[in-house]
Amino acid sequence: MDSTLAFVVSGLLVGGALGFVLQRGRFCVNSAYREVLFKDYTMLRAYVIAVVVTIIGANLFEDMGWLRQADETGAMVAGTLYRQSFVPWANIIGGYIFGMGIVLAGGCGSGILYRVGEGNLAYVVAVFGFFFGIAMTNFGILKPVFETLTSYQVFVGEEEVPTLYNIIGVNKWIIIAVITAAAIPFVFKDNPFQKAKKGYSWSLVGLLVGIVAVAAFWASSYFGGNARGLSFTGPLRELFLAVTMGDSKARPALIQSKSLLGANFSWSSLYVLAVPFGAYLSGKLLNEVKLKVPPADELFKVLLGGIIMGIGAQIAGGCNIGQGLTGVSTLAVSSWVANSFTILGNWTMVYFLLIRPMKD
Amino acid sequence: MALKDSAPDQTLDTLGRVCPYPLLLTKKALEKLGSGQMLKVLCDAPASAEDSIPRYCEKNKFSFESVKLDDKGYWELYIKKG
Repeated sequence: MDSTLAFVVSGLLVGGALGFVLQRGRFCVNSAYREVLFKDYTMLRAYVIAVVVTIIGANLFEDMGWLRQADETGAMVAGTLYRQSFVPWANIIGGYIFGMGIVLAGGCGSGILYRVGEGNLAYVVAVFGFFFGIAMTNFGILKPVFETLTSYQVFVGEEEVPTLYNIIGVNKWIIIAVITAAAIPFVFKDNPFQKAKKGYSWSLVGLLVGIVAVAAFWASSYFGGNARGLSFTGPLRELFLAVTMGDSKARPALIQSKSLLGANFSWSSLYVLAVPFGAYLSGKLLNEVKLKVPPADELFKVLLGGIIMGIGAQIAGGCNIGQGLTGVSTLAVSSWVANSFTILGNWTMVYFLLIRPMKD
Repeated sequence: MALKDSAPDQTLDTLGRVCPYPLLLTKKALEKLGSGQMLKVLCDAPASAEDSIPRYCEKNKFSFESVKLDDKGYWELYIKKG
């Protein structure tokens, strides 16, 4: 197949599959975190399955040499997973801000995008707000804050990105075994083999999201020139920039771009574009797509939430998927820290927005 | 008799609302209702109608019925407090 065609088709297929699975499975990391406060762990169990599947799959692909990446000359060589550098202040503060934003916006990084396909215009507003927040932090008035927070970087040894295994100096599979062993009793506290009354069971949803995440690592490396995997913050920024400015401005070290229709699109910007369409297809088959809009005050809150999400995600280095699933699976310390603070930010906002108002 | 055939004590319209308001408003309305009373909820957020609200009802042992109106693209949920 022609390389540009493979580039486009693989990106659209991965994004479409993700959107389909998210819609069909009602997968939502926001509610996975939130419902913990109400002692419902069902969605969290689905998320944990997705994380464990992605950790094992991604690291297996890496160690088996099934990932590849482009070197300086553009030639394909054996690749590694993309592990984010540890910038503690940015990971902590950005993660926390992002966690608060997703409650206001009514959906996480993946949630707001796939729900565009279900027809609620609030999520169109959230996605535009998300990009606006990302852009003001990456290029605009918050750039000095972003640069200050990311200026302090922590290494292991000379210049190695800290991971859960290299900070204690063990083989990464020992860490993976420990995480898996901890996850199994949690997942089996509910019955993962119980058939759902309707749609996909929570365990199947977790498994499918994990499989798509692993496939995305492979496809992004094979067709996009780097094992970036699933994420939303960077790809959404790249999509908007390609469409409005003519260039994704993606770092080649992260993912490759190709010229289409006179603009330079990154592989990830194509994948992210397909997510709402995959969700639309799933929703259409279930007769669930309908154009709708919430009351004005809620729409305003969603816009604000989207902007806050964008600021937080850009500072933290990713959203609940980029850091919370893909990043976490690379075992980079930065992703585990950012995701932990996203959960704390989520709980803080849930308290102020949802728990306290219930008391009166 | 099926829940949907009896008259609800209250009807709650959550059409258009984003996650998690359909669940939150449902919880709030149910708290105000007495036991044996029934709430009817109109909901067009798929994740709320098919996942979070039924799960909440199951946990609290409320009787729950759901009717999906395919032509209108939303659900009518019938919830009776036990």
